[in-house]
Amino acid sequence: MTSTIERAGKAPGGLSRKGLKSGSVGLLGAVVIGVSCIAPAYTLTGALGPTIAEVGVHLPAIFLVGFIPMLLVALGYRELNNAMPDSGTSFTWATRAFGPWMGWMGGWGLIAATVIVLSNLAAVAVDFFYLMLAQVTGNEALADLTNNLPLNIATTWVFIGLACWISYRGMETTKTFQYVLVAFQVVVLIWFAVAAFGHVAGGTAFNALEISADWFNPFGVESFSAFAAGISLSIFIFWGWDVTLTMNEETKNPEKTPGRAATATILVIVVIYMTVALAVLAYAGVGTEGLGAGNPENQESIFAALAGPIMGPFAILMSLAVLSSSAASLQSTFVSPARTMLAMGHYKALPAGYGKISPRFKSPSYATVAAAIAAGGFYTVTRVLSENALWDTITALGMMICFYYGVTALACVWYFRAEAFTSLRNLGLKFAAPLLGGIILLVMFVQTAVDSLDPDYGSGSSIGGVGLVFVLGCGVILLGAVLMVLMYRRNPEFFRGATLRRGVAAEDLADRY
Amino acid sequence: MRRYVVAYTATDSGREAINLATALARRQGGSLDLVMVLAESSPYSGAYPRPESGYDAILSDQIQEWLAEGLSLVPDDVTARAHVRRAESNAEGLIAAAEEFDAALIVIGAGRSSVFRRFSVGTVASGLLHASTVPVALAPRGYRRTEPVTRITVGLGNRAGADDVLHVALDAARRRGLALRLLSLVTLDSSDLDAVSRAETQMKERLAQAETMLAGRVTAHVAQGRSIEDAIDALEWDDGEVMLIGSSRLAPHSRLFLGATASKVLRALPVPMVVVPRGYRSSPLPTDNPELSEAPELFDDDGHQEA
Repeated sequence: MTSTIERAGKAPGGLSRKGLKSGSVGLLGAVVIGVSCIAPAYTLTGALGPTIAEVGVHLPAIFLVGFIPMLLVALGYRELNNAMPDSGTSFTWATRAFGPWMGWMGGWGLIAATVIVLSNLAAVAVDFFYLMLAQVTGNEALADLTNNLPLNIATTWVFIGLACWISYRGMETTKTFQYVLVAFQVVVLIWFAVAAFGHVAGGTAFNALEISADWFNPFGVESFSAFAAGISLSIFIFWGWDVTLTMNEETKNPEKTPGRAATATILVIVVIYMTVALAVLAYAGVGTEGLGAGNPENQESIFAALAGPIMGPFAILMSLAVLSSSAASLQSTFVSPARTMLAMGHYKALPAGYGKISPRFKSPSYATVAAAIAAGGFYTVTRVLSENALWDTITALGMMICFYYGVTALACVWYFRAEAFTSLRNLGLKFAAPLLGGIILLVMFVQTAVDSLDPDYGSGSSIGGVGLVFVLGCGVILLGAVLMVLMYRRNPEFFRGATLRRGVAAEDLADRY
Repeated sequence: MRRYVVAYTATDSGREAINLATALARRQGGSLDLVMVLAESSPYSGAYPRPESGYDAILSDQIQEWLAEGLSLVPDDVTARAHVRRAESNAEGLIAAAEEFDAALIVIGAGRSSVFRRFSVGTVASGLLHASTVPVALAPRGYRRTEPVTRITVGLGNRAGADDVLHVALDAARRRGLALRLLSLVTLDSSDLDAVSRAETQMKERLAQAETMLAGRVTAHVAQGRSIEDAIDALEWDDGEVMLIGSSRLAPHSRLFLGATASKVLRALPVPMVVVPRGYRSSPLPTDNPELSEAPELFDDDGHQEA
C-alpha cells in the first residue's frame, strides 16, 4: 500500500490509495499457514492426555467428530467475512448482529480464549525448554526445574514478556521460517508415530493395544458428559484450521485457493492426528500406570512422557518441535487479543487507553502489554491453584472457544436472517450450518460448565468444593460481564450504539449503494 | 525541485527530523516528503484467530491524523507532501521512497535510547546507514531549529574518498552562499607522532584546492584532542551548522556505512550530521554553466526545478 497526501501550503488533501499488493499466497503457502496456526505438535502434546482421560480409546472418534461443529461454524464465519471484510471478528460482528451487549461479550470471549491460550502456550514452551536443556546437557535434573513453582512461573513470565516485546515491535514471522517450522513439526510427528508402531511391531511397546474399529465409534463413549468434554477439547485441536477460509485478497486465486487450502489442511491435519493418536494408544495403551496414556502424570504433556521411550536419543527433536511451535504461536497469537482490545478501545467499549497505537511501531501499544499481563496473571493464578495447570487451562480454553465461536455463529445467523431463505446456498451456509454449529458449541459449553462444577472434574483440581475448570471458565465470563457493566457506568456511549451501529445484512447492502 | 525524504513518526525524533529537513530545504526551494513506513503485513505471520480486520481501518485513520500533524509542523514557506508506504523494514521503505522520488537526502531523527549523548543511532538509522544510496542527515536529539543552515563543516580524513565528500560540501556551500569549514580530526594519543604535521600539510593542499572554487569563504582546521570526542567538543559550533562526513571506505560503492571515526564524531557532535555515500554523485543535470556541471552536488540545483 502506498498512500499520499498531496499538500499545497497547509491544506492536506485526500488520501489516495494505489498499488494495493495483489495476492501472493498459493495453495501450498495457504496450507502451511493453516497448519502453522493449528500448531499440531503443541495441540497434540496438550490435548491428547486430557482427551484420553475423558474418552479413552475413542480418541480417534472424538477427534473426527470434533471437527464437525468447527466446520459448520467456519462456513458461517466465511460468509460474515465476505459480507463485512473490513469490520473485524467476533466483537464487531456480534455487535453488528446482536447489539453492543452481546458484542461486548463476544469480544470478551475471544480475548479470554486467546489470553488463556497464550498462558498455555508459554507454559508448554517452558516445560519443553527445560526438557530440552536436560536433553542437551544430559543432566536429567534440569527437566525437573519446571516443577519448581516460583521458577516455573518466573520463566513463563519471561517467555510471555519476550513474545509481547516482539509483537509490540511489530515483528512478524517470515514465510521461510513458517515453512521450516511446519515441515519440521510434520516430520517429527510422523517420525514419532512410525517409531511407536515400530516398537509395537517389535514387541517393545509399553502396553501394545491392537487397533480396533470401535476406537472410531463416537457412540462408544460412555456418557454424554465425557462426549461433550471430548468435543470441547477437540475444538481446541482444530482451532486455527479456519484461518485459510478468511484469506481472500492475500491468495493468488481468491475464488478457489481458500476453500481448497482449507480442505487440504484438514486432510493433512486429520492424517497427522489419526496417526499420532493411534500410535500413542497402540504403544502406551490407556492404562493408568507407567507410560500408559491414562496415567495422569503423562496426560499434561504426552510427548514429554513418551518421546524419550519411543524416539530414544532423537526425543530432543520432539522437544524442539513442540518448543518452536508453541513459541512461534505464542508470539503470533498476541496480535489477536491486542487488536481486538484495540478495536474495543477505539469504539469506546473499553477505556480509551486500549485504543492507543504506538507511533514508533504502529502496533497496539497498551493492548499488547495488557494481553501479556492478563496471560501471565492467568497462568500464575492457575498454576498456584492447580498442580495440573496445563490441563485445566486447556479445558477452560475449550470452553471459551465454544462460547465465542457459538456466539459468533449465532451472530451470523441473526445478521443474515433477512436473506437466509432467498436461496438454497444461503439457507445452507448463512443459516443452517452456523445455526447447527453454534447450537452444538453452546450446548457443549453449557454441558462442560455444568459438569465442571464437580470437584473431581478434569484434572481434579478444585476450589471450595467447586471444580477449578468451572471457576476458571465461568469466572472469566462472569468477570467479563462485571467489567462490561463497569464500562457501561463509566462510558455508556458504546452501549447506546453511538460508536458501532447494529445492522442487518440486507440493510447494510442498501446503505452501500 | 530538490526533494528531501523525512523519516517521519509521530514522536520527538520524527519531529526533529522535520525540523532539520525544513532547515535544509529552506531558501533552496526544496520540498519535504514525509514518509511513514508500515510493516508489510504478511499472511505468514501466523496470527490467529484472525485479528480484527477493523484494525486496518483504525490504523489508517490514525496514520492520516499523524501525517496531518506532521504536515502542520512544516512552515508555510516550505512545500511538503506526506506518504504511507508498506515495506519489510523502515530503512527499506525510506530508501525505496528516496529512490522513487529521486530525493537528494533522507532526514532522520536520532534514536531515543541514549541519555547522555546527543546522537544514538537507532535501529532505523543504522539500517539506513548500512544500505542507503543517498546521503542521510541525522538530527540530534532535541533539534528544534528550522531556520536555514548557516555554515557547513566537512570532516576530511586522509583516505581516498575525502575528495568525494569535499566536492559535495563545496557544492552545497557555494549554492547556499555559506562559509565552509574544512576539518581534520587528529587524536594526540596516536602512536604516529607526525600525524598532526601530515594532517596540516594535507589540509593546506585541500584548502588551496577549495579556495579555487569558493574564494574567501573557506577555513581549515586540524582539531586535536585526546580522543575524537574531545577534539569535537573543543571546537566551536554554530547553532545553524551542519557537518558532512563521508561513509566508510569499507562500505560497498555508493552505500553508506559509518566508519569508526564517523561513529565517534556522531556521538559527540552537537549539530546535525550528513553522511555521504562513498562515490556519491547526484545525477548530472542540464545547466548552462559548464563549471557547475562538473561539480558533484548535494543540496541544491537550479536545473532540476523544471523537471
